[in-house]
Amino acid sequence: MLTRAVLFIVVGLYTAFAAGPFLWVASMSMRTTSEISLDHYAWPAKWHWEKFAQAWFNSNYNVYFENSLLVVVSAVAVLTVVGSMAAHCFARYRFPANRVLYFVIFSTIIFPPQITIIALFQILVQYGLYDSLLGLALVYVAVQLPLTVYVLESFFARIPGDLFDAARIDGYSEWQIFWKVSLPIALPAIATAVILNTILLWNEFLYAVVLITDESKRTLPLGIQRFMGDQLEDVGMIATGLMIAIVPVVLIYVFFSEKLIQGMTAGAVK
Amino acid sequence: MRALRWLLAVVVIAFASSAFAQQMKLTLWSHWAAEKIKRDFVEDAIKRFESTHPNVKIEATWYEKNALYAALKTALRAGTGPDIFYAEPDQVEYMENGLLLDLTPLNWSGIEPWAKEIWTYKGKPYGLPLEAWTVELYYNKKTLADLGVAVPANLQLSSDAFGDLVKKARAKNITPMSLGVGDRPFPGAFLVHEALVKKLGIAAYTELLEGKLSWSDPRVIDTLKLIRSWTDAGLLPTTFTTLKLGESHTYFYSNPGAATFLMGSFYSSRAFNPPDKGGEPAGFQVGIMQYPAMPGAACNECRTLAVGGSYVVNAGTKHPKEAIDFLNAFVDPAMANRWLEEVVVQTGVKADLSKIGGPHAAYLKDLFAADANAKYFFGLPSQRMQGKPREVFTQVFNNAFPAGTIGVDDAVKQMNAAYAR
Amino acid sequence: MASLVRPGADARALAAPRVDRQPWGAIVLFLLPAFTVYTALTAYPVLRTLWNSAHTVLPHSAQFTGLANYAALAHDDIFWRSVRNTFVWSCVSPVTEVSIGLLLALALYARIPGRRFFRIAWFTPVLMSYVIVGIIWVWIYNYDWGAANAILRAIGLGRYVQAWIGDPKIALPSLIFVTTWMWTGFNMVVLLAAMHSLPSEVLEAAELDNCGWMAKLWHVVIPLIRPTILNLIVLSFIGKMKIFDLVWITTKGGPLWSTETVSTYLYKRAFEWSTFDLGYPSTIAVVWFVIVLAGVFALTWLFRQRERLEF
Repeated sequence: MLTRAVLFIVVGLYTAFAAGPFLWVASMSMRTTSEISLDHYAWPAKWHWEKFAQAWFNSNYNVYFENSLLVVVSAVAVLTVVGSMAAHCFARYRFPANRVLYFVIFSTIIFPPQITIIALFQILVQYGLYDSLLGLALVYVAVQLPLTVYVLESFFARIPGDLFDAARIDGYSEWQIFWKVSLPIALPAIATAVILNTILLWNEFLYAVVLITDESKRTLPLGIQRFMGDQLEDVGMIATGLMIAIVPVVLIYVFFSEKLIQGMTAGAVK
Repeated sequence: MRALRWLLAVVVIAFASSAFAQQMKLTLWSHWAAEKIKRDFVEDAIKRFESTHPNVKIEATWYEKNALYAALKTALRAGTGPDIFYAEPDQVEYMENGLLLDLTPLNWSGIEPWAKEIWTYKGKPYGLPLEAWTVELYYNKKTLADLGVAVPANLQLSSDAFGDLVKKARAKNITPMSLGVGDRPFPGAFLVHEALVKKLGIAAYTELLEGKLSWSDPRVIDTLKLIRSWTDAGLLPTTFTTLKLGESHTYFYSNPGAATFLMGSFYSSRAFNPPDKGGEPAGFQVGIMQYPAMPGAACNECRTLAVGGSYVVNAGTKHPKEAIDFLNAFVDPAMANRWLEEVVVQTGVKADLSKIGGPHAAYLKDLFAADANAKYFFGLPSQRMQGKPREVFTQVFNNAFPAGTIGVDDAVKQMNAAYAR
Repeated sequence: MASLVRPGADARALAAPRVDRQPWGAIVLFLLPAFTVYTALTAYPVLRTLWNSAHTVLPHSAQFTGLANYAALAHDDIFWRSVRNTFVWSCVSPVTEVSIGLLLALALYARIPGRRFFRIAWFTPVLMSYVIVGIIWVWIYNYDWGAANAILRAIGLGRYVQAWIGDPKIALPSLIFVTTWMWTGFNMVVLLAAMHSLPSEVLEAAELDNCGWMAKLWHVVIPLIRPTILNLIVLSFIGKMKIFDLVWITTKGGPLWSTETVSTYLYKRAFEWSTFDLGYPSTIAVVWFVIVLAGVFALTWLFRQRERLEF
């Protein structure tokens, strides 16, 4: 059928368009800069796996990777705990200020980062947290809190109330109800929130560039610029660096794509 | 006996602790991480100072310029900055905010008066003007010979001869001039301000930068049109807007090679590195001439002299005396000569020109010959302008105008508007 | 995201605990960490930025200047240029991203083979950080060897090669193209999920009525997923109003401010101009904040549901 053929062509072209750049970077990451200058689009003749080792051990990529890992893991852990506590509370308890407080936190999703970034810079400098991974992690928690609370709250709200009533009758305290009833059931949503936050914070750049200057504290998005030095752009090494930053995220996506899509679409889908 | 031993112990402890207490550490943050020769020079100066001052230790951290500025801005604001750091005279915000130590105690008789002047703010000097540089037109001797262009005895081509050079080079598919603004806000503007300072002369040029002379002045417009005719004829590389400073050097010598290169005299900091570290290839013959003469110019021997890398002292330092002593160690004709011979770029410190030797003596001779009879305007436009005019000047004359993306009239309009506040 | 029908709203009414006395202690405990973080690192900074905007904020002093910064801002043509650029971006992007995403979702909905593969492939741009995307597209847009010009030359359209991000006239459209490339896949995935969650009875009913696929699309499917489409438009709008990383890596706001966005201009005023003053950049932040809120409210009001859909 003609329409089917056209459809296929369109889909094929779009796939080349969407995935092409990624493949190009992947292939460039295996070639040296001189090979690339000769022909920018050739497939690797010789696969230079050692470039990854070079970036990792000689060019501080291990430091950047560790910093990113440290900051993201700690921020996401705190976010999950703090966010689920708040979400549970909003979803399960009726109290006068409930909707107002929820709206207060939720509405900050639309705040542009500019409204806080200058003051955050001043605050961190004032308390000696400037240029520290701890300071950055705290800021990340604040930045992602609204989204986390939002994603979790809608899930918590859907849990049938009978479970809670039963738990209360059994004499569980409020904290135990949260810990032993809400959380285990909400695990899918929490997983989604974790994955979402991890990806967003792994790639975060603006706060990192303002709040971190020391070379040894850079996260991956900042560290990628390391190869953009004084001389000719080291395209090959930059590509290798890019792959080191992309691969973890792609792996998370490939294994958890269903969860991820559920999470990212949770609010958008009616 | 016992008492004596106790006394001895006390004395020893007192000595040890006072010696310990007097061991001072100064921190120094500097640009030039990638410019080995300058870095070596400063580290050598540190070693000399430490050997004559055994109780002082100076710890140097080397940065790339943009990273240095970012680190300084925040560290100074937080009150945790280094004792001594690299700065350039255009950073008036340090002085305006009282972040620098008054350097009056320096030995100013050993420093060129114009260099002191550039670092003077409200009557007090704040920086040691270590590096000074002029804008030079470097050229590849072999290429120019091949193109049949002869450099006259006064080392200055007429604007017609230069236009001719552009055409000849293009005809042979050689880029007439290497220049790149990928990572710096000043190289592209060299084209414009060196021409303007000649056409207008020092007094009128000063007025122009201060906003007292309109950019619509016919002399300015004529000059801009002339430059536009050169850029239209293919003066600059196609990658001009993204070519980095370091890359523009290699573009000039070998990759792919250009006829001329308009660059500050700190050209040497990269050019004399080994070829694989961005230096000239073996056998490369570089010549130095002046920027072309402007027709109807007020002063064709006028040119810009800028103070570049300087060292300043943090106003909040705990060791002001030692910091000033360290800077004073640079104020010595022997040091200046060493700077000239090793780093091969001018300095604000008075040197003994009769005693210059070293491996690059021939280059230095060429450099001074190109600057003979020069009249200087002190400072780049970006060092003399602030705020909006500076931003507009950079966007328009460093980037857009040489790249050909803005016309003469538009450029003039934008500059006039920038001052009108 | 201002979703128009709150998810789980009905469920909550059923699930509400029937306690007569609120466990206030527990409530406070649950909310305390979140609100501590919120107050210290979101609410307080907003107030402080507001305070900054009425002062000249220097390292060791802060002078009250009242509305002087705001007056200066009104005449700052670079600022208004950046506002215009950001608005153009925020208005054009949702249109391109959502419409192309819709078409692609429909293509996949038509059950072509290899759906899972396509979904993953089309989603990859979203996973990459803006920094990575920026670096890749600077290479693609490179005049001499970038893919964009190379492809044009290869198919004989060599005379259309451009300095994509070097020419002030086409730099912004080039960047908008990049964000479209990034986000269309995301929109596609969301819309596809929305389509799949439609109750099949309605679509079968349309089938029975002998609708052509075009009619089916226009009159049945799109209206049913309208809320999702609107949410995506609002999301995209908000996202582009915040954009910084992409511009910073590719053009830094040049050439000639053609890609200057409010966030890049603010960053420059705060950290790159030859001044330590944080008061003026804070003024920019406050004014921009008001503009963004106004934009979001306007959009939400525009899209408010006029009638509930019954099904």
